[in-house]
Amino acid sequence: MSVSAIRRLILTGLLIAIGIALSIANPTFLTMDNLMTLLQEASLTGIVAIGFTLILITAGIDMSIGAVIAITSMICVNFISHTQLPAYIYIPIALAGGCAIGAINGFFITYFKLPEFIVTLATRGILAGLALIIAVKDEQGFVQNVFIEDEVFLSLGETVGPVYIVTIVFIVLAIATQFFMKRTRAGTNIYAAGANPTAARLSGINVDRTLIGTYMFSGFCAALASIFLAARMMTAMPEFGIGSELDVIASVVIGGTPFTGGVGDIWGTIIGTLFIALIKNGILKLGLSPYIQPIVIGGIIIVTVVLDVWYKHHAEKKATLAARRKAMQKEVAA
Amino acid sequence: MSANSKNDLLLECRGIDKNYNGPQVLDGVDFSLRRGEIHALVGENGAGKSTLIKIVTGITNRNGGTIVFEGHEIPVEHSKIASEKLGIAVIYQELSLIHGMTVAQNIFLTKEPLLAGLPFIDIRKMNEMAQAMIDKYGFDLRATDIIDRLPIAQRQTVEILKALSNKASLMIMDEPTSSLTATESERLFKIIRMLKAEGITVVYISHRMEEVYDLSDRVTVLRDGKLVSVLEGEEITPAEIIRLMIGRELTEDESHHKMVKKEGDVVLEVRNLCSEGKLNDVSFKVRKGEVLGFGGLVGSGRTELMRAIYGIDPFDSGEINYLGKPYSPTVEKSIASGYGFVPEERRLQGIMGGISITGNVGIANLDSIASPAGFVSSSKELERAQEAISILNIKPPNPDHLVGNLSGGNQQKVVVGKWLIRDLKLLIVDEPTVGVDIGAKEEMYQTIDRLSKEGVAILVVSSDLPELTRLSDRIIVLRKGRIIKEFTEGVVTEEEVLRAASGIVEGGAK
Repeated sequence: MSVSAIRRLILTGLLIAIGIALSIANPTFLTMDNLMTLLQEASLTGIVAIGFTLILITAGIDMSIGAVIAITSMICVNFISHTQLPAYIYIPIALAGGCAIGAINGFFITYFKLPEFIVTLATRGILAGLALIIAVKDEQGFVQNVFIEDEVFLSLGETVGPVYIVTIVFIVLAIATQFFMKRTRAGTNIYAAGANPTAARLSGINVDRTLIGTYMFSGFCAALASIFLAARMMTAMPEFGIGSELDVIASVVIGGTPFTGGVGDIWGTIIGTLFIALIKNGILKLGLSPYIQPIVIGGIIIVTVVLDVWYKHHAEKKATLAARRKAMQKEVAA
Repeated sequence: MSANSKNDLLLECRGIDKNYNGPQVLDGVDFSLRRGEIHALVGENGAGKSTLIKIVTGITNRNGGTIVFEGHEIPVEHSKIASEKLGIAVIYQELSLIHGMTVAQNIFLTKEPLLAGLPFIDIRKMNEMAQAMIDKYGFDLRATDIIDRLPIAQRQTVEILKALSNKASLMIMDEPTSSLTATESERLFKIIRMLKAEGITVVYISHRMEEVYDLSDRVTVLRDGKLVSVLEGEEITPAEIIRLMIGRELTEDESHHKMVKKEGDVVLEVRNLCSEGKLNDVSFKVRKGEVLGFGGLVGSGRTELMRAIYGIDPFDSGEINYLGKPYSPTVEKSIASGYGFVPEERRLQGIMGGISITGNVGIANLDSIASPAGFVSSSKELERAQEAISILNIKPPNPDHLVGNLSGGNQQKVVVGKWLIRDLKLLIVDEPTVGVDIGAKEEMYQTIDRLSKEGVAILVVSSDLPELTRLSDRIIVLRKGRIIKEFTEGVVTEEEVLRAASGIVEGGAK
């Protein structure tokens, strides 16, 4: 069995075990309401995590995702407050905004060969500031929480049957992205660009274009999550999404996509997202302080990465020794 | 004969010139390839083989001369991708494959078969096509194997398949057997002969004379950037190739110093050192003031031996005695007890390019320039740097100069200088003059000579045979991790060393 399959099995086992433990500890855990809310939480993080998975596969990083969520919700609020445009016009505009931010990130990373971390950290700062500046203000100049009354917009926060729309969108996007990555040339190019950019270039892949496309997709995913977040909260705040990088990165890393590039897939990210959402929900259901959530998640990231590195080192050592022994035996036989 | 007629030439290079802003690397070289031949390109390090290949494949541009491939003139401004489209493929040793992907994905990267009328990859068809190619050549591979889990030899096969799928008519293999075992090499030779049977031309670059001798239809010998000779058929013998490669008059001119037996105390003794897959029962002694040279081909275990002695890599069994006492090396201990180490890859392992000469020298001498509390004294650091600059004549003599901006020779001096200002007892130098100009080379030799006169025991690894014979008081030749020959007295010729390294040893020990 492959490493990633073992990993998934262990994670799924853990998910179920934690789920059982929680339903024993607190009977309100295993209610339809709570499970659907948990899935809704997971879906909001998960949509961003899908884009982030692709970024990690290219061996990059996108620190701007949280700020994209903030600015997108502010763009929507401004359209709602200052224009009469219908939702099906300004939502696509807001999504295009997310793509454009990704394109800018990608442009600086590829054209000027700047480190991904620096570029996206800079755009994060700029966007977080812009979100505050364009936020709707009251007469004294304080940021005003606008209550969204646009029904079309709010309908995005509702359910189909018991399932939230955002969960359905998450699942569809996950399947489509997984298929794209595994079954199209463009998807293959993303893996190749991450695993070995020089080899990819020599094979005729336009690595720069591939990277820009990936950052655009990441921006798109963050913008999409922002719209569902605002629809669910029925309001938008300029601090939306700021700090959500922690959950997103944790979900992707636990799902088995390493920072080294060339490896990873969406299935792992889905499981990772569910895992993080379950832990956060569990902390609340156990009556613990929500302030320990980031501490626990930070701890989980460290433990996962340590285990990964340790296992990889171990496996490599075993493999090289085995290969050498085999080669030597053959030599002797010959 | 028709085989000699112009129409049968696949590639014809005439009068190729190349200089990298300075020394002439290639000087009017002619190089031609016939269709469906196996053509070996040989020469010592620095003879210009790699540069010639880089020009043919479009990685670098030539300064003069013409290249005609398949009847078409290739322009000076050429690119790797353009040359691949023409059908020129290079099989790299360390490799242009994408990790994490399957064999089939790698072979068909960017030209994956699609489902009819859809933009989706037809994975089944891709695997079938790949498997069909694999089966056709009888390779021991599966289309769905992940690249990472394959041994080097099989990855090489995948590279060859990738080139075949690009309809390559010329395949260039640069030292393809350097990391293969004997059986794997045999298998590769079979593949090369199969390619030949298909009408594909193979250019084969190797230091291993017996391979060149077995495989080649023709051999082009380069020396110092010039074409020496093209051998064909009966003319190809290992001895003749080696004679042409070296080319110089092998007399006792002053640069060939006579090896002498040194009688000083033993500084380092290595007994039965073994390391799985790298070193096999290596034993030797080096005495005070002795320069012990290590010859051998790339991959013969010389660098691995030095790393083990210095304490970078652990070894499986064997003993090391240092200054008469049993010693189990770690880098920290080695530095503290008078070792110096000048590593093989200067840029990667020797220097910190973005830091000044002072900083580079200081880092190996922190013990003597820092106070017990750990604060570095910048005046002492500067003193040390100036000492190193003046001993080694580093240019420019400015301690604040960034090492990355120095010439190769001066960078190497900084690496050596780090150790010189210590109480040095044993200096290990691995390929001391690669990428260094001739003037700096001579200075490096003088430094090594002087240190040995001062009583430092020195281990020199070099693939540059004149250098090895020039410096050494004794030469040990390694082959496949074993000591295969030791030259102790009198004058040793480059030819003798090369013969031993290639496994052509009197008495037939092979």
